[in-house]
Amino acid sequence: MALAPLSLVVVEAEFLVVTGRSGSGKSTLLNLLSTLDKPSHGEVMLNGVSLTLMNEKQIAHLRNSCFGFIFQMPHLLPEKTVLENVVLPFHYGKLPVEVDVEKRCSELLDYVGLGEFGLRYPDTLSGGEMQRVVFARALARRPEVIFADEPTGSLDAGNSKKIMRLLQEQVERGCTVIMASHDVDAVHYGTRIVHLDKVESSLRQEPV
Amino acid sequence: MIFHYHLFDMRDGWASLSRRPLRSLLSSLGIGIGVTALIAMLSIGEGAKKSALDKIASLGTDALRIENNSQAAFTGRNSLANISKGLVVADAEYLAEWLGTRGNVGAYVRRENVTISREGRSVVATVLGVSAGWFEAEKVQLQSGRSVNQGDITLRENVCVAGSKITTILGTAPGSSIMLQRFPSNLVGVLAPKGRLLTEGTGLSALDFDNTVILPIFSLQAIFPGKDEARLDGLVITLNDSDEASILSIGAQVEEILLVRHKGVEDYSLVIPLNLLKEARDSQRLFSLIMGTIAGLSLLVGGIGVMNVMLANIAEQTREIGLRMAVGASRSRIANLYLWNSFLLTMTGGIWGMAAGVILALFIQKYAGWDVAFSSFSLIVAPLSALITGIVFGVHPAVRAASLQPASALRDS
Repeated sequence: MALAPLSLVVVEAEFLVVTGRSGSGKSTLLNLLSTLDKPSHGEVMLNGVSLTLMNEKQIAHLRNSCFGFIFQMPHLLPEKTVLENVVLPFHYGKLPVEVDVEKRCSELLDYVGLGEFGLRYPDTLSGGEMQRVVFARALARRPEVIFADEPTGSLDAGNSKKIMRLLQEQVERGCTVIMASHDVDAVHYGTRIVHLDKVESSLRQEPV
Repeated sequence: MIFHYHLFDMRDGWASLSRRPLRSLLSSLGIGIGVTALIAMLSIGEGAKKSALDKIASLGTDALRIENNSQAAFTGRNSLANISKGLVVADAEYLAEWLGTRGNVGAYVRRENVTISREGRSVVATVLGVSAGWFEAEKVQLQSGRSVNQGDITLRENVCVAGSKITTILGTAPGSSIMLQRFPSNLVGVLAPKGRLLTEGTGLSALDFDNTVILPIFSLQAIFPGKDEARLDGLVITLNDSDEASILSIGAQVEEILLVRHKGVEDYSLVIPLNLLKEARDSQRLFSLIMGTIAGLSLLVGGIGVMNVMLANIAEQTREIGLRMAVGASRSRIANLYLWNSFLLTMTGGIWGMAAGVILALFIQKYAGWDVAFSSFSLIVAPLSALITGIVFGVHPAVRAASLQPASALRDS
């Protein structure tokens, strides 16, 4: 079992930080909550609806329209430009009629400080810049929940701070952020900390 | 919306293949070779069919052609000459009577390399002495004047009908006189251009109607004596019933009659053009089977190559697949993306394979002398076979990519 049995409720506009030792199941928990993985036992509910009962198409739609993802390694498609990478989620869901997709994505790049980088390719960016592109992509479809798995794990202190501030801003705008991290500095940005302990098969919660 | 998705997946597929150009090129090579073989096979097969049909049309689908072969039959066996004299006028008369209204019989004797001249101009041509039924049996048309009739034959009139090429070279028309070697003959008609009999590979003697002078049968033998007057060089029989079975049946009966009349000596050769068509069909079928097998194997090998490259690409792009799933790509969209990959690979091979196939066929035509023809069928079948190969061999990798779990795909190293 990759994750000990647990019961966890996350409320709207909460910045939940999941901490724990390596192997305690932080990433597994995030994967289960974000539908990237399926639980072998138990249930994940979103707004009272069981995600385990959803079919594959509904889950894909949920990931596309409600969730945003930031990973430890900045995953970008190498053959696409920075702007094309940010636009990517729009190609897998319904195109919003009232929104100029490219304009919105350019604005997001401006927001993360990469307004001039739209036509560049990922291999010309630094790690921090790539992670900010991933951040812009996660915001592209105005997600209700952002899942961030060790978002600062591969960044220096300066870039880590930028990413954490951006996440905090999203929470202030009403977005829920669930972040797995063992970065001591990053933990302080959370509104609630959940500590996973595999040995005790339980979790310890502490408000910040 | 669906069009937008397909356009996006196609572009992504192309971009993905462009990242490994050499690998993509090599995998499309197998498909290209298969399509090349397919195009070459179909065009050569089509050319052989067209050539056979032209030949049959030239010889007549409803005709039987008999040529005297006594020279070959008697070689080293002089005693046979006492039994049979080869084809003779009596054979033609007997067959005409036996056939009745079922067809026409034309008899002829021929002389080769006869110099035809008029007022300083000359041409070397074939001279035929024909029976009155020959014109109808051979279905020749007149451009001007009249043909040789029974009266000309009976009275051994000194008249002739010339091919259009001869009259053009000599600058003559019906009503004038031309010289056959040193004998004058009155030109009474000119044949409409008909070209030549396509006799290659049939064992029949070649004949260019446009370069032939036609005389009444006995008039020719009077001008060029030396042979028994009763002997013929050939017969042409045209049947009124064009039914295949009927033609073959009459052909078999004619053969039997001649064998009996010639006392068992096969001093003639009977050619039934319809049989040539059947032979051509059989050999074409064999050729198509061999080439089809080669083309099929090439496509199979090519398809396996495509599948291999697709699986390698998927192994390399596992994290990207996970990423696409994380941002909302459904399994069907992932499958669609990799089917486009496979389709583009095979169609690229298909397109250059078609070009190479056409070039190969033209090369074969030029250097091997085979007839080739390009049909719309082959130009549809070739890319279609590449497309089907792409889909068949792309399905497994596409399903494999689509069945990846996003979380484990994202963890892939």
